[in-house]
Amino acid sequence: MRSALVVSALILAGSLGCRMFDPAPRPSASVPPALPGQSTGVFTTARATFGEAVEDFIGRHPRKPEQPVEFPHVVHAGKGIGCTEYCHESVTTGPVAGLPSVRTCMVCHNTIATDRQRIRQITAMRERGEDFVWRRVFDYTPEAHVRFNHAPHIRAKVDCATCHGPIAQGTVAERNVDMNMGFCVNCHNERKASIDCLTCHF
Amino acid sequence: MDRRSFIKLTAVSGTTAALASCGNPDHQLVRFVPDEDIVPGQAVWKPGVCPLCPAGCGLTVRVMDADAEVVRDGKSGVVQILAAKKLEGNPNHPINRGGLCARGQAAIQVTYHPDRITQPLKRTGNRGDGTYAAVTWDAAIAEAVGSLNKLASGGNARSLAFLGRPDNGHRRALIAEFLARFGAPAAVTYELFADDVLRRANGMSFGSAQLPTFDLANTRYLLSFGADFLGTWNAPVSHARAYGEMRQGQPGVRGHFVQIESRVSQTGASADEWVAIRPGTEGALALGIAHVIMRDKLQSAGAAAGAAIPGWSQGLPDYAPEQVEKLTGVSAAKVERLAREFAQRSPAAAAVGGAALAHTNALFTAVAVNALNALAGTVGKPGGLVFTPQMDVGAAAKIGARPSAAMSMQQWAAALLAGGEPAAQALLIDGVNPVFTAPRAWKVRDALARVPFIVSFGSFLDETSILADLILPDHSFLESWSESLPESGSAAGVVSAAPPVMKPLHQTRATPDVLLEVARQLEKPLELPWQTFDEMLAMTMTPLPAMTEGVDAWTDAQEKGGWWGELPTAIRLKPDSTAIRLKPDSTVESGFSRIQPESGFGRIQPEFDGDPAQYPFHFLPYPSNQFLDGSLAHLPWLQEMPDPLTSAMWSSWIEINPQTAARLGIVQGDLVEVTSQHGTLRSAAYVSPGIAPDVIAMPAGQGHATFTRYASGRGENPVGLLAPMTEETTGAVAWAATRVKIARVGGPDGRLILFAGGMREHVEHGR
Repeated sequence: MRSALVVSALILAGSLGCRMFDPAPRPSASVPPALPGQSTGVFTTARATFGEAVEDFIGRHPRKPEQPVEFPHVVHAGKGIGCTEYCHESVTTGPVAGLPSVRTCMVCHNTIATDRQRIRQITAMRERGEDFVWRRVFDYTPEAHVRFNHAPHIRAKVDCATCHGPIAQGTVAERNVDMNMGFCVNCHNERKASIDCLTCHF
Repeated sequence: MDRRSFIKLTAVSGTTAALASCGNPDHQLVRFVPDEDIVPGQAVWKPGVCPLCPAGCGLTVRVMDADAEVVRDGKSGVVQILAAKKLEGNPNHPINRGGLCARGQAAIQVTYHPDRITQPLKRTGNRGDGTYAAVTWDAAIAEAVGSLNKLASGGNARSLAFLGRPDNGHRRALIAEFLARFGAPAAVTYELFADDVLRRANGMSFGSAQLPTFDLANTRYLLSFGADFLGTWNAPVSHARAYGEMRQGQPGVRGHFVQIESRVSQTGASADEWVAIRPGTEGALALGIAHVIMRDKLQSAGAAAGAAIPGWSQGLPDYAPEQVEKLTGVSAAKVERLAREFAQRSPAAAAVGGAALAHTNALFTAVAVNALNALAGTVGKPGGLVFTPQMDVGAAAKIGARPSAAMSMQQWAAALLAGGEPAAQALLIDGVNPVFTAPRAWKVRDALARVPFIVSFGSFLDETSILADLILPDHSFLESWSESLPESGSAAGVVSAAPPVMKPLHQTRATPDVLLEVARQLEKPLELPWQTFDEMLAMTMTPLPAMTEGVDAWTDAQEKGGWWGELPTAIRLKPDSTAIRLKPDSTVESGFSRIQPESGFGRIQPEFDGDPAQYPFHFLPYPSNQFLDGSLAHLPWLQEMPDPLTSAMWSSWIEINPQTAARLGIVQGDLVEVTSQHGTLRSAAYVSPGIAPDVIAMPAGQGHATFTRYASGRGENPVGLLAPMTEETTGAVAWAATRVKIARVGGPDGRLILFAGGMREHVEHGR
């Protein structure tokens, strides 16, 4: 009986999730009201919604998350543009590959294929000064304690497709490879890279 | 909960999550296109200067990509920026050599504070109720310029006033030049825990009116009269590093350290010996020690060392150990022993500061301790005190000397209330909060109410800036050119300076640049010799000798976070020529005869406010380890940082000796009321063995009425109890010269928040 109560309370909490994480805090009596221009948000490490929190908790991430524009990887790769050339260029210098901003797209699309519907959408974003909110495709759960750095892998001439699969042949990025520890260790063994725990877990 | 119901719950919550359709992307903030080229995931370290205290420590700032909430064209959203993420000490900086105190670590929160003022504001409601409307920078500057024009054209330039903090950097020099060219009086500066008395004493004793640097690394015996040099006083990071050298730097050598104070400070807790002394009698103890040294001829120092002190040439007959015991409460045997140790374990040094100089006789105390240093023969020598050469910004910037301070805050407020000259018509406030930190009897708030137009450059709304009619918020130190001229902490000259490490988060502007803009827009432009603040820095720093071969000093300083080395004499502050000089080897006394003890020292005996019969306890407010005088109480990391001695956090407390507490029936956490002739407050009792039975201590810093969501309405401000007692020659607040009475008014009500269970020794002794 008691567990039934807990369960129903939980369902209620889940359905009210959005409202409960209302970003506007109620100021206490002694605190003066916010001044013009000040953020009224309270920083929290919690997820925006109950749903997101639970999905995160059980490690469920969509294989093919919905992106702000349906970027056709195959078209660009087909024109001979390398992954690291314009769009993911910090892959050679830093731990994170980097995702292109509207500015990056407009370097070429200021003049190329300007009449396409998707390009018009991006041009409109630039005019509004807005950028993409890309959604993550590949990630590790925090409890895996893995720190991945792209740059050394690029220097070792590991092909992007080795880990990211045939993204260049598809449109929107999709997680086709299951990057578990065995996957990493196999490759490290084959290429005689270090398999010391601290190589990745630090 | 058993395993089975846990699994059930997990299943149910998973289903709920799947059903929840909250993650609608339409509700997300707009993401703006970034304006800088950013390599994600890669950190860059840039130099900076810590702004939180005048020590001027060098920083190295970790800068990385981050998402910042911004407002662009009236739309709020998120943009990727290069943002400062972590502060560390600059390992090459001569003051802190890679160290950074806990306050410095928390400085990063100044930039990202949720209650930071993000754009110019104009008051719309009544003064003090905190209602403001957003205005553009153009409109705000036009309003300030308009009001200054009105003063200048009406011949009332002298009725422009400026309140600031006492320091000697480029920013102050720029402000001084602005005011002088406008025709206004010099800025009024104020700081509760200022070291004015010590500067004056050092000017009199050594010809250098500045804070001393102790070469602790080579000191073998250190007597500290109330100086909290490891916590809140002088350059704590520099001294803490040197102190580590003194204690453990050489195998088999461990310098001895005796702390003399009526309440154990963080520094006192590190000492080999704590000598509890009657408040205000530290100078008498110093002279008692000097008496024994001279009587027993333990040191061959000349008589000139303490020439200004009555009776010095006769060997201080009034300060025999028995007399000193009567005055100070320190036993005659202990005076003899301290004197012997001080004389025999060379090099020895004596430091004085903090509560010892918060009395009406502070100048006497400071000069007495200085004389003891001269007697030890270590002034300017290894193991003794040295003075950091200081840049004369006026000379370096080719603007000449401007008066540093016209009036004290007390005189200024009194003149304004009395309706005398100059009646301030417009007031600019930069980085000072006297409504919170000045004794209530000075009536600073009432004085400010008389000023028709107040402009604040503050980044936060505090008790003083909430009275402003116009707020022109400054950049944070990470967003602007930052600089500091360290007054102590190094044997070589140091100028800390660094370029901005990140782009401004908000619609703020650097205050020096705003002043330069106002100066240009006035009807009669002030024609200051710089267009921007960094031009001024470049002007003073380019001619400095190069640190690296082939690189000019200014370019190099921007990379290194400052300049250090031999300061050219042309731009070095001249020693105070009016000073009496203590030359240990000199025996000539006639040169000092013009200094009359009475006029030179003010008082020799301390005076206290309050009748001892009615107010039996000495009240000792002390600079908080977290908040200093309260100017850092808005930083939540510091609020949650446990005090090193009591482990208290997020609160105020009153320290009481266990015997006194037992006598008054007070136990830990009880609500007690402390009353002076000037005010009363209630706070929680903290029973501490580290305090004399006739002293009640309380940290400053809490008790803000208005200071962001973290500090407002939290704890109590001991300044409310202070009597308007001052050291008369300098006008410095004698903040330890108030007497109080205390009474228990109730049991623990949860307002005392301790991180740990209290002092273990205390608990175990009582077992």
